[in-house]
Amino acid sequence: MEAGKRKTEEEQQTLVDRKRKAEISEPPTTTTTVTMNAVETLVTQIQGLSGSPNDVVALHAHLNKVDEALRGESARLLPFLDQIDPSIHSLGYLYLLDACTSGPVSKELAANLVLITSRFITSCSTEQIRLAPEKFTGMCKRFKDQVLLIEAPMRGVAPLLVAVRKVQPSSEHLTSLHPDFLQLCLLAKCYKTGLSLLEDDIFEVTQPRDLFLYCYYGGMICIGQKHFQKALELLHNVVTAPMTSINAIAVEAYKKYALVSLIDNGQFSPGLPKYASSSAQRNLKNFCQQPYIELANTYSTGKIAELETFVQKHREKFESDNNLGLVKQVVSSMYKRNIQRLTQTYLTLSLQDIANTVQLNSAKEAEMHVLQMIQDGEIFATINQKDGMVRFLEDPEQYKSSGVIERIDSSIQRLMTLSKKLTNMDEQMSCDSLYLAKAGRERQRFDFDDFDSVPQKFNM
Amino acid sequence: MASSSSSGLTFKLHPLVMVNISDHYTRVKSQMNPPGGDSAAVKAPAPPPRVYGCVIGVQRGRTVEIFNSFELLYDSATDSLDRAFLLKKQELYKKVFPNFYVLGWYSTGSDAEESDMHIHKALMDINESPVYVLLNPAINHAQKDLPVTIYESEMHVIDGIPQLIFVNSSYTIETVEAERISVDHVAHLKPSDGGSAATQLAAHLTSIHSAIKMLNSRIRVLHHYLVAMQKGEIPYENSLLRQVSSLLRRLPAIESEKFQDDFLMEYSDTLLITYLAMFTNCSSTMNELVEKFNTAYDRHSRRGGRTAFI
Repeated sequence: MEAGKRKTEEEQQTLVDRKRKAEISEPPTTTTTVTMNAVETLVTQIQGLSGSPNDVVALHAHLNKVDEALRGESARLLPFLDQIDPSIHSLGYLYLLDACTSGPVSKELAANLVLITSRFITSCSTEQIRLAPEKFTGMCKRFKDQVLLIEAPMRGVAPLLVAVRKVQPSSEHLTSLHPDFLQLCLLAKCYKTGLSLLEDDIFEVTQPRDLFLYCYYGGMICIGQKHFQKALELLHNVVTAPMTSINAIAVEAYKKYALVSLIDNGQFSPGLPKYASSSAQRNLKNFCQQPYIELANTYSTGKIAELETFVQKHREKFESDNNLGLVKQVVSSMYKRNIQRLTQTYLTLSLQDIANTVQLNSAKEAEMHVLQMIQDGEIFATINQKDGMVRFLEDPEQYKSSGVIERIDSSIQRLMTLSKKLTNMDEQMSCDSLYLAKAGRERQRFDFDDFDSVPQKFNM
Repeated sequence: MASSSSSGLTFKLHPLVMVNISDHYTRVKSQMNPPGGDSAAVKAPAPPPRVYGCVIGVQRGRTVEIFNSFELLYDSATDSLDRAFLLKKQELYKKVFPNFYVLGWYSTGSDAEESDMHIHKALMDINESPVYVLLNPAINHAQKDLPVTIYESEMHVIDGIPQLIFVNSSYTIETVEAERISVDHVAHLKPSDGGSAATQLAAHLTSIHSAIKMLNSRIRVLHHYLVAMQKGEIPYENSLLRQVSSLLRRLPAIESEKFQDDFLMEYSDTLLITYLAMFTNCSSTMNELVEKFNTAYDRHSRRGGRTAFI
């Protein structure tokens, strides 16, 4: 407390000096001096009121009032930031920083601001930040824009991860910062950091747009890391999320969804499950008919040559959608699929025969493919290099070890918590007024059967 | 009250009697305090009621076997049991069970009281030496024995005055197969349609669960005791240690790799089935949720053709 007081006195002194200098150096207009005074008093207030939680709440109310005035002075507020400590006076710092960045920002200023903001984000106190989450989110979004402006997305990745964790009420909530963070990860190509955020299960979403972007970017990150299963899940979420009218994110996601589905499952059915919104079910297919769904049809024939000609034909379309890399992976997955089909027919096969069936150029290439697949765990086989024979084996996993049992046990536990959540949601849904209105409307006339205790529901 | 009887009679108690007494007590208690009392009023817990009744059975030589019991009303004005009703009931029972006599009476409480002697003496004209069965309704989880005590009356000379006092008698539990099955059935309160496989499975698993829980708690007690012995808080007792060691040497019954393999395989099979069951459960909840959501929020849902959700 003593140190704080002394500091305030020193600050007062420097402030007074500065003011005098300002007065001497340029002819001061009365309004500027008045506002500067206001800012100084604000700074002292921030320093004084950041002690206990009650004080902070009072400070918050006060800051809200002066917010507009602060924004007007955005250009001149930068030096005042040095006088307050971001870890103790987080709320005040946030408001000042937010006001600083509200105006148009040049490239040099952006570089400076990026440094200040990243330091602030890493050191700010979580409780104070949670009092003004929208301001914090807005400031972080502007931070992302600045980082992109100076073309160094890597510098924004770590601070934004910290920011996301600080502003989330719990790990199950989706904030608006999640998609921004993932976007930066994609641009900076640090997929692993992005994956760490995707590990959390999301149960609470406030803005639908956040969900769409989060799942779309998340899907792209998983594709980058070759986790096709998880990518499929995330893209599926985008495509089947409730939407009243079709949006562009869903269309792009559907295209990628088709391609990833081909790579991972070897097949793609254009139909959507019944929990997808009706607008998605009707319109998505039309947007993606050419060439994605046709690509899926060609894939299902199993002939590599046809597939390759098709890809060549529609090359520009794929390129304009930024999907060409993915399409190439689809083509290479075709080889894998054909080799896998061979395991079901043959016990042993020579490398040359494999090359012929799968339409590879030589036995050497076939050997490389098979080796890669054995390493990835996609087939189980042994290659006898003496006579060039490949012997296909059964899956040696017996699922008898205690490790397997632990895995099943933890899955059951997870499923139990999920089941509880689902029952809660179901009950909430039953009480929802919209649902009750619609369900009641379709009621039949009272009939003797209606007094049966068994509910009459026909779910086709 | 002396601690042990010297009459030399052996008592055999049937579980039906205990179930009857406990049922009588529970009924009266729950009728006294209606369930779901309002929380606003501060209700001091009423003292547990005392219930009274008669026990009947057979006496063959030195063995007294108590088969059945029936309830009696206690008249607090005259401090005695309702005699007319007792005689009427006795007559009815005689018609069905000609061998049974009124052997004594029962009551609930934690200890025999002086006022019980009046009732006891009143019954002495029906049976020269009635027995007094006392059930302690307080639930004590630590107690391992049944909370039932049987008292006899004996003439003892205290302070120069011959007095009748209650003396504690030992007893054994005796049962026939039919009785065991029915008491078991009642005790486990199976639902009325106990035939369905699901409830049977649930009941089976519940009993296994309680058995394992008890085993676990007993082992924990032993373990705690051994640890204390190791730390030196309790003096070594070699006979106990020998017993524990012999117990431990009896496990494990089988220890071989083949057994481990098969065991783990069966275990993972069971777990997988449980997992599958949970999955199905979750999927059906999710399906219902999606249906409701579509009904509520989808603008162009199927019109008609869907019957009401009752």
